[in-house]
Amino acid sequence: MLKKFFQVALGIVTSVGGFLEIGSIATAAQAGAAFRFELGWAVALGTICLIFLVEMSGRLAAVSKRTIAGAMRERFGFTFFVVPLIGIGIVTFLTLASEIGGMALALQYATGVRFQLWALPVAFVAWLLLWKATFGVIEKGVSLLGLVTLCFLVAAVKQHPSVTLIAHGLIPSIPASDATHYWFIAVSILGASITPYLFLFYSSGAIEDKWSVKDLPVNRFVAASGMTFGGGLSLAVLIVAGAVLFPRGISLDRAEQLPLVLSLSLGRWGVALFAASLGIACLGATLEIGLALAYQLAQGFGWRWSQDLKGSEASRFTMVYTVAILLAALLILTGIDPLKLTVLTMAFTAASLPLVIVPFLFLMNDKRYLKEHTNGWFSNAVVIFSIVLAFVLAVVSIPLELAGS
Amino acid sequence: MTMGEYSPTTLDLVRDVLDTQMLDELRDPMGRVDGLVLELRDGAPPRLAFIEMGGVVLARRIHPRLGAWLARVRGVTPFRIPWERVRNVGLDVEVDICRDDTPAMTIECWLRDHIVRHIPGS
Repeated sequence: MLKKFFQVALGIVTSVGGFLEIGSIATAAQAGAAFRFELGWAVALGTICLIFLVEMSGRLAAVSKRTIAGAMRERFGFTFFVVPLIGIGIVTFLTLASEIGGMALALQYATGVRFQLWALPVAFVAWLLLWKATFGVIEKGVSLLGLVTLCFLVAAVKQHPSVTLIAHGLIPSIPASDATHYWFIAVSILGASITPYLFLFYSSGAIEDKWSVKDLPVNRFVAASGMTFGGGLSLAVLIVAGAVLFPRGISLDRAEQLPLVLSLSLGRWGVALFAASLGIACLGATLEIGLALAYQLAQGFGWRWSQDLKGSEASRFTMVYTVAILLAALLILTGIDPLKLTVLTMAFTAASLPLVIVPFLFLMNDKRYLKEHTNGWFSNAVVIFSIVLAFVLAVVSIPLELAGS
Repeated sequence: MTMGEYSPTTLDLVRDVLDTQMLDELRDPMGRVDGLVLELRDGAPPRLAFIEMGGVVLARRIHPRLGAWLARVRGVTPFRIPWERVRNVGLDVEVDICRDDTPAMTIECWLRDHIVRHIPGS
């Protein structure tokens, strides 16, 4: 009983630490700054869809004992598998670069030294943690430190925002002006919420923890409460930005402006808290994404994979995250704007979602994998609706946004 | 002739065997079933002869020319495991050979010996 309680508590803490990263922080903050609470619905929709997807990936692992990447190659064959592998690989790599950029930015806010100079040092620290620490240490350590992001919730409550206006924002609306930017930000929020690496990582964790059918109720509860909590934090970022930046007409175009979200709401400690939140959230995400990339390749090609093995026992696995982190750090070192990279990457993620989610849904409805635990019509409907919406909005709004800027 | 119903005693080669995880005699992962080879015999029906493994097999499945190119560049041919060495087909395909005796671990061992072993703390 007590063990179960800790399992649930840990799951929730994990998702609080795991959900919020530079993608959700930057897109939610931009949404609040430009459109006040109007885009709250995008955060809510993305979170609901993610709850279903995370629950599904845990269920697939618990029932079929297969990871998503492994099952996908088996079920659809290698020639199909390379398409999502490459597509998701590219956006996941760009997300990794965004997170390293996020850590570097956090240090820029804290020290005043330009972010490029921090790219290699922060990447090295992240790599060292993957190289030396076990899965449990990474999961628990980063999650507990990640609780600092609760300061966004404190900041949101302190602003005493109008509950009516927030509730209004949860219902999708047509923007009064600047429709292109509105839909582009909506797409970026959806992409930031429904990130494929998150449920690839989750299904690998479920296999590492040897889940079985007995764990399904816990899986359902953790997915629902954890992702709701994480989505709530994203919404808090949007609310703070909507309350303090929107009235002042600050549009958050430049990376240097991001800490204003907390410095204008929490005062003296705001910048420090923002730097700490962003840095820790991005460190956690860097570790998860580095592992998710290595998991995906190792599972797809049948190599030995586990974070708890020594590097020399799984050389290819180790080399994948090593090379990915190094290349991502080099991309940030070129001086590419981490904020622009992040928002664009999140929009590309939204556009790439069908590549992995459509085959994933086929798996979740296949009795040979899920036995009597296949998807119900409702989970299918929620996910299909969100993915189609995200994809269509992405295809329409990305070219328009790029042409406009 | 029977109707095509799946039963616990039959296997669908493409669905249940191709692309499945392979385990060696110590149940260590050694890649996936990248290809299956039938042997054509005079006066007898074709027989399942080999499991094929390796990047060249995979490249060939995407496009024959890609496979030929990779074979030339890397100077390797696909590695074949006789079907007789298969012990069990279930969640994984288990074979009774040691993976270290096969080319399946060539890249893994090369990376271990030339790079990973030289990183402090390995």
